Amino acid sequence: MAKKKMMKGNMAIAEAALRGGMDIYAGYPITPSTEVMEYLSGRMIDLGRVFIQAESELAAINMVFGAGMMGKRAMTASSGPGMALKQEGMSYMARNNTPAVILNVTRWGTGLGSLNAGQTDYLRDTRGGGEGGYRNIVFAPNSIQEAVDITYDSFEVAEKYQNPVVIMTCANLGQMEEPCSFPEFKTERPTFDWAMDGTGRGIAARQRGEGSIEVVGQHTLDKVNAMIENEQRWETFEVEDAEYVFVAFGLPSRACKDTVKALRAKGEKVGLIRPITIWPFPVKAFAKLGSQVKGFISVEGTNVGQMVEDVALATKKVKTNLPCYLLNHGGNLPTVKQITAFYEGVKAGNIKEVF
Amino acid sequence: MKEMVFSGFGGQGVLTAGLIIADVALAHDMYATWIPSYGAEMRGGKANCVVKVDNEQVGTPSLEEADILMAMNIPSLEFAERVKAGGTILCDSDFVADIPEHRTRNDVEYYFIPFNQIAREIGNARGSNVVAAGVVTALLSDMFDKDTAKDAMLGFFEDKGKGKFAEGNTKAFYAGYDYMKSLLK
Repeated sequence: MAKKKMMKGNMAIAEAALRGGMDIYAGYPITPSTEVMEYLSGRMIDLGRVFIQAESELAAINMVFGAGMMGKRAMTASSGPGMALKQEGMSYMARNNTPAVILNVTRWGTGLGSLNAGQTDYLRDTRGGGEGGYRNIVFAPNSIQEAVDITYDSFEVAEKYQNPVVIMTCANLGQMEEPCSFPEFKTERPTFDWAMDGTGRGIAARQRGEGSIEVVGQHTLDKVNAMIENEQRWETFEVEDAEYVFVAFGLPSRACKDTVKALRAKGEKVGLIRPITIWPFPVKAFAKLGSQVKGFISVEGTNVGQMVEDVALATKKVKTNLPCYLLNHGGNLPTVKQITAFYEGVKAGNIKEVF
Repeated sequence: MKEMVFSGFGGQGVLTAGLIIADVALAHDMYATWIPSYGAEMRGGKANCVVKVDNEQVGTPSLEEADILMAMNIPSLEFAERVKAGGTILCDSDFVADIPEHRTRNDVEYYFIPFNQIAREIGNARGSNVVAAGVVTALLSDMFDKDTAKDAMLGFFEDKGKGKFAEGNTKAFYAGYDYMKSLLK
């Protein structure tokens, strides 16, 4: 790997996708994701790949759908209302067993939202987002280097399950800079018997039991179960003897880690579970916790609690009826001071649990 | 770990000054984060960035408590309350002649620096942000070596295709460095 250089999150992800073998990018610009397109508009052409600024988000996601069916590595990026428009296309991709990578550089808020970073798309993105019953694997990196590494391998994950993969960053991770380095361009490319080539090949792989609710339903269930079993990723920090465990993903998790360090220095027994995949949610991380745990604190960039629901479900793996608290810090990154004050409130019994 | 806020009007180069300091940190095998906040305007409007440098990976990149605030205008002094006790506030004396009473702190060091005038005097009127990078390097000279930092600054502009300004930028960087050193004596 080359020496690390400062780079903006959006551009670093774009470069990582190129090196991971992206054949086609189709998108429609929206703040705070636009640098992805801007960067690729030059790089894709230089590399002889396909770059399309589509007429709308709907057009872009369906171009990605088409390319994915052909076995091409396709990607799009968006945010807020733009991501909402793509959900129908993503549902069609899941139904038609089509790989693709979709980057959501999140905004905070409902409707138009705001340009602040937020995590208010959590439930939408972790539950599939479009019509029907399906799931997308959703990666939520907390540094630019991790975003690079995840993006680089994300096409293989999508191909393994023939399913869309979502990478969720946020306005802050997209716009900030920190040092990163890039792996080499991938040169090996598998051939896919499921890819359509105009001869009729691939149609059966797309539909999997056309007309049969049972066959399609079972196939989807098998796929989702395989993803739950194989793809949970997480990081834990100081959980071995922790009595209170913070749960946070993406950039806010870094403030939580700082808080754990500061509280540990004062003798407080706290730890952190950081989901790297927010779907499948890393239930396995909770199953490894000891019985000394007294409660969980979900720290999330939401207004109405979202991840706290998954935290509450995951606590069934520890012991029943553990309280789950919610620090919903809205559209700004939480500060160590804020998290510490919340923890002290929980410990003193001044904050009511959500579950 | 050092935490810095560079704040001013859009166009004053505060975002660039912050990026240069991040590159200076990398040149010293340190880790850095740079996170911007700015309006839609290229010129005018408020702009600021938070830069953190550390020997290990920086935790949260956003502002907690700043060691250094570079205030290139009066509105930037809103960050004064976020400077830690014993920290430093560097004011652009062309824009910040007096500190408004409600922004005054008695537990931090203030320095008033004529960034533009320094840049003009060495014949690089557009180099006040490079002067600023020199000033911060001098303030952190227990961490940063003057010439390693200067080379990092030149590399930053070279990567942007602005290598031809190396001579003027070197002068601006040293002028800022020397000015701050003279204040610290």
